Amino acid sequence: MIRLSQITKTYGSGSLAVPVLRGIDLEIGDGEFVAIMGPSGSGKSTLMNIIGFLDKQTGGTYSLNGEDVKQANEKQLAGLRNRHIGFVFQQFFLLPRLNAQKNVETPLLYAGVSKKERSERALGLLEKVGLKERTGHLPSELSGGQKQRVAIARALVNQPTVILADEPTGALDSKTGAQIMELLTELNREGKTVIIVTHEEEIAACTDRIIVLRDGLIVDDRKVTS
Amino acid sequence: MNVRESFALALSSIWNHKIRSILTMLGIIIGVSAVIIVVAIGDGARQQMADDLFSTDENAIPLYFEQTTYEENGEMMWVEPPAVTGEQLDAVKEVAGVKYVLGTNSGWGTMNHNEHTADMEIIGVDNQYFIAKDLTLLEGRRLNTRDNDSYSRVAMIDSLTRENMFAADEEAVGAIIDINDNPYKVVGVYESTLPPEFRHMDEFSNGQMLMPRTLISMMFGSPEIDTINVIADQPDNLTETGFAAAEKLTELTGSEEGMYVAEDMSAYVEEFDSFYMTITLFISSIAGISLLVGGIGVMNIMLVSVTERTREIGLRKALGATRGQILRQFLIESVTLTSLGGLIGIGFAALVTAVAAVFLPFTPIINPVVVIVGILFSSMIGIVFGILPANKASKLSPIDALRYE
Ligand SMILES: Nc1ncnc2c1ncn2[C@@H]1O[C@H](COP(=O)(O)OP(=O)(O)OP(=O)(O)O)[C@@H](O)[C@H]1O
Ligand SMILES: [Mg+2]
Repeated sequence: MIRLSQITKTYGSGSLAVPVLRGIDLEIGDGEFVAIMGPSGSGKSTLMNIIGFLDKQTGGTYSLNGEDVKQANEKQLAGLRNRHIGFVFQQFFLLPRLNAQKNVETPLLYAGVSKKERSERALGLLEKVGLKERTGHLPSELSGGQKQRVAIARALVNQPTVILADEPTGALDSKTGAQIMELLTELNREGKTVIIVTHEEEIAACTDRIIVLRDGLIVDDRKVTS
Repeated sequence: MNVRESFALALSSIWNHKIRSILTMLGIIIGVSAVIIVVAIGDGARQQMADDLFSTDENAIPLYFEQTTYEENGEMMWVEPPAVTGEQLDAVKEVAGVKYVLGTNSGWGTMNHNEHTADMEIIGVDNQYFIAKDLTLLEGRRLNTRDNDSYSRVAMIDSLTRENMFAADEEAVGAIIDINDNPYKVVGVYESTLPPEFRHMDEFSNGQMLMPRTLISMMFGSPEIDTINVIADQPDNLTETGFAAAEKLTELTGSEEGMYVAEDMSAYVEEFDSFYMTITLFISSIAGISLLVGGIGVMNIMLVSVTERTREIGLRKALGATRGQILRQFLIESVTLTSLGGLIGIGFAALVTAVAAVFLPFTPIINPVVVIVGILFSSMIGIVFGILPANKASKLSPIDALRYE
């Protein structure tokens, strides 16, 4: 359960201060499938980063599963990222010198999982995302869609409760993008909370709930009716 | 992520930048190998010198008479060494640690036999000499006490003289030979102590003869004993034994104008040690500078690496790496880099000393302590110069690092 209340984010200070988020109130329940939309610069990525503990809000409170995370220190934040959040980025962000399997295993390294279990889990997830035949390939040997599948497998490997995907289809053609959306939809059906940022209506239409940001404020929050 | 995995990660990262890594390690390689090589060469030279000075087969230390008064009425004065007798030497032999005391004299003789002529050294000996020097009797008999007591005109010749002066089938024992135009009888033949490669080179290589020292004294008008050598029970105690023997002999001769001294071989070694210490310090300080520069090079490369890998660091943090884990990763990488440099330096030093052994008159000895210190020191450089970049990496905020272009 994600609960944001009066979240603000301001870059810089004094006369140079740029308010990016200006008081976000938002609740996302476990197992929801949410799309965040809005014009460029409206603060979508900033919001995602705060939800994912990559960035800290300037004001307001954020609680995950009922716990206020404001007090968390560096190390605890790393643990929260590691255990609760799976990130999927627009630019994939795979480690170029590691093969698909090793990339997927990386979060498990930091969680202190044994080598054998790391390998089992990574191979299992790569099979799930349809890359059984590509486990030994380097990122440079994979197509964009395949890279994003590896990234999704990586996001899942630590069995997080929340998947955050910032424009996961942004760098892909529409057909490949649709496949990625199918995968994310399936994950949501299995019980994961999935939050995606997107510009595309068709992508947003796959989700259950659309939140629209404008100038750092939520201007619309609606259920998708299929 | 455990240390082994961090280490594997570090090795792969070094391997992925082979040339850069080698160049970075160069300072460390040079520094470590320079120290090892210098110490190995110094130790080798020192060992060789000690071997030469205390050659164990000789195991003898000479006693010299050193005059202590130099002037009388303002004039320089030469003090005649006191006459030493066989009885006095027998008394010196009782000093603890002394095995034999050899009192000898010597002269040069021209030997004529069978139309052959040769100049050779004649050593005047007593009955102990043969045993003390561990000589090998080939024919006839050894010189005995009676030969000395009765000034017998007898000689032992060495195998080299026999080869040079006698026909192979000719009986040497009992032959009368001519030395300085006087006849002497050969009573024995002993194995030459000259190594084969030195035979037939100069007058020393013509061969050698032993005669009763009383006879030599009579022939040449020299003292019966003018050279004293002490042989010790324990080769290791040679110098100390020599000192004790010299002291005893001084006491026995009762000379007031001088004293007997044993040549202190360890003084040569000490002199060499201090000379060699200076060189070692000099090279070590150069090596130290090389290591310092190497360390700064490592720091520089690690800083570059942190910048280059900003996104990687951001990503790893996003995936749950803690600050400590990132710090450790970079620290292990720089330590691996410098330790590897240290290892290569050791390998290089081993190679250089092996090659040097072929060209030098002695074998360099690699000191394992220096090798271990080299490894530890190079790892330490990795820590010292890696801490700044590693700290910088660990402090990056994940989002800024991910956004880094
Ligand atoms: N580190 C920063 N310093 C200053 N301003 C920043 C920083 N990061 C983001 N911003 C600003 O915050 C605003 C919101 O950025 P954000 O990335 O959240 O937008 P977005 O909605 O994700 O846009 P897009 O759709 O283009 O990805 C932008 O105006 C951006 O310039
Ligand atoms: Mg964005």
